[in-house]
Amino acid sequence: MTMLPKAVPGAKKLGLVVDLDTCVGCHACAVSCKEWNTGGEAGILPDYDRYGPEPDGVWLNRVHSYETGAGGTCRTVNLPRSCLHCEDALCVTVCPTGASYKRAEDGIVLIDPEKCIGCKLCSWACPYGAREFDEDGGVMRKCTLCIDRIHNEDLPEAEREPACVASCPSRARHFGDLADPQSKVSQLVKERGGVDLMAELGYRPTNKYLPPRKAAIPTGPREAPARDASGIGGALLRLLDRALSR
Amino acid sequence: MRPAASVLLLTTLTGFGYGLLAWVGAYAALGLLSTKPWFALGAIALALLLASLGLIASTLHLGRRERAWRAFSQWRSSWLSREGVAAVLTYPVAIAFAAAVYRDGSGVAARALGIAAAAASLITVFCTSMIYASLKPIRQWHNAHTAPDYLIYALFSGAVLLALLHAAVFGTPGAAAAACVACAAVALIAKGLYWRHIDAQTTLATLASAIGLPKGTEAKPLDAPHFTENYVLREMGFTIARRHSAKLRRISLVTGFAAPLGFSLIAGLSWLPRTATAAALACAVVGLFAERWLFFAEATHVAALYYGRRI
Repeated sequence: MTMLPKAVPGAKKLGLVVDLDTCVGCHACAVSCKEWNTGGEAGILPDYDRYGPEPDGVWLNRVHSYETGAGGTCRTVNLPRSCLHCEDALCVTVCPTGASYKRAEDGIVLIDPEKCIGCKLCSWACPYGAREFDEDGGVMRKCTLCIDRIHNEDLPEAEREPACVASCPSRARHFGDLADPQSKVSQLVKERGGVDLMAELGYRPTNKYLPPRKAAIPTGPREAPARDASGIGGALLRLLDRALSR
Repeated sequence: MRPAASVLLLTTLTGFGYGLLAWVGAYAALGLLSTKPWFALGAIALALLLASLGLIASTLHLGRRERAWRAFSQWRSSWLSREGVAAVLTYPVAIAFAAAVYRDGSGVAARALGIAAAAASLITVFCTSMIYASLKPIRQWHNAHTAPDYLIYALFSGAVLLALLHAAVFGTPGAAAAACVACAAVALIAKGLYWRHIDAQTTLATLASAIGLPKGTEAKPLDAPHFTENYVLREMGFTIARRHSAKLRRISLVTGFAAPLGFSLIAGLSWLPRTATAAALACAVVGLFAERWLFFAEATHVAALYYGRRI
């Protein structure tokens, strides 16, 4: 059923909040996502040309690094990119088979691998490039918000969170109910001014990103001016430098 | 966007097939088929054959072809599903139309079913166009040009094909030559307007907005998540050099529309009608293929922003 679900009063909107201030770009979330989901219910996330010159494969989470600003305010921003479980998910409505759907009870966008015909239209409809095609299975793949962890009663309660959140060493990833204004994630979004990615496209993503804080430490030129190496010490250093450069 | 052979064949072949069926339907509605039942039946059969080949080609890119039947289920929200439903419904309408023409080409049934077949054909083409027009992340498709353009190109394709069939059977292209000239002129102008529109468009998003930074923040890629091309880049990061696209635009305008216009004019004036209509068709096929290739190749997807590509 690819119509978007009608809003149910009191329904959850499960999603992620990613802190761009504390994300260090270590890719641990991407790797643990790959690890968990390749062994998950939907089957392996394939890799192609594993040891060849053009290794490639399906990942549901990808970490980009960007340089932003200029001069003294220049900084690195790391951006983990995965499905944002949008409220106006065009990837769902364009699906001709009903394989792509959004759950009414918690807002998670999923693909039914038994119904997907692999037409790839949903990946074209996603502005975030969050869907990747599984060449081996002939079906589309995407982030499931680790649905087989978060609702898994075989796991201890503390572990019922997405693999990417559990593995983040800088605690830059948070999981929770964004429909509940009192939840930890909603509070974080409120305090830190969480934003939507590409808000102008109007997909109304559930996942939010917390912008980098203003740098509190003044960053002047980092390199000390070269000191003039004169005198006997300088001569010795030059000698040493020549000897080592040989 | 990657110009995959399957979608190029789908959109061009169904354009010829449904365009031809639309014209034969219009001929019947206007009572022009009375003395030519076999010609009409042949044209309907060819139209269905071409449309079917296009539809089959479109299933070639599916990952799970055996499940293609599922695509008929989501017509309430999906233009791709609607396209499938409309394409399937066109068959019984076209067959009923053919039967009516066989019985009495100028009868009320043939006229009514002619209108129905033409409508079903154009609705199918419209659904195809809306698959592209409804995709918000692609500015070159998500605009008011895409749907009318697809209809114009289908009618143009059908007219060129009908003119050749008519000339081959009866020695003259008849009224189809005038239809060709008119459609080619409209198509030529429509394509020009489309290119002017997409060249003047502003981008839908910026890298800053894509990564959640305030508008106008400078941002550039530092490290990509992977070193080789992945699915997203292959499918949605396709780029074409400006000079190549300028050359292909000229080729598709001249070969696709201007040359068929000229040849149809020549055929309409009864100079070598068979040769001229055949030349018009050959040029139209090449030009429309170039035009369709460009429709995909020039289309950019906002997801490519994450990789620092220009959109």
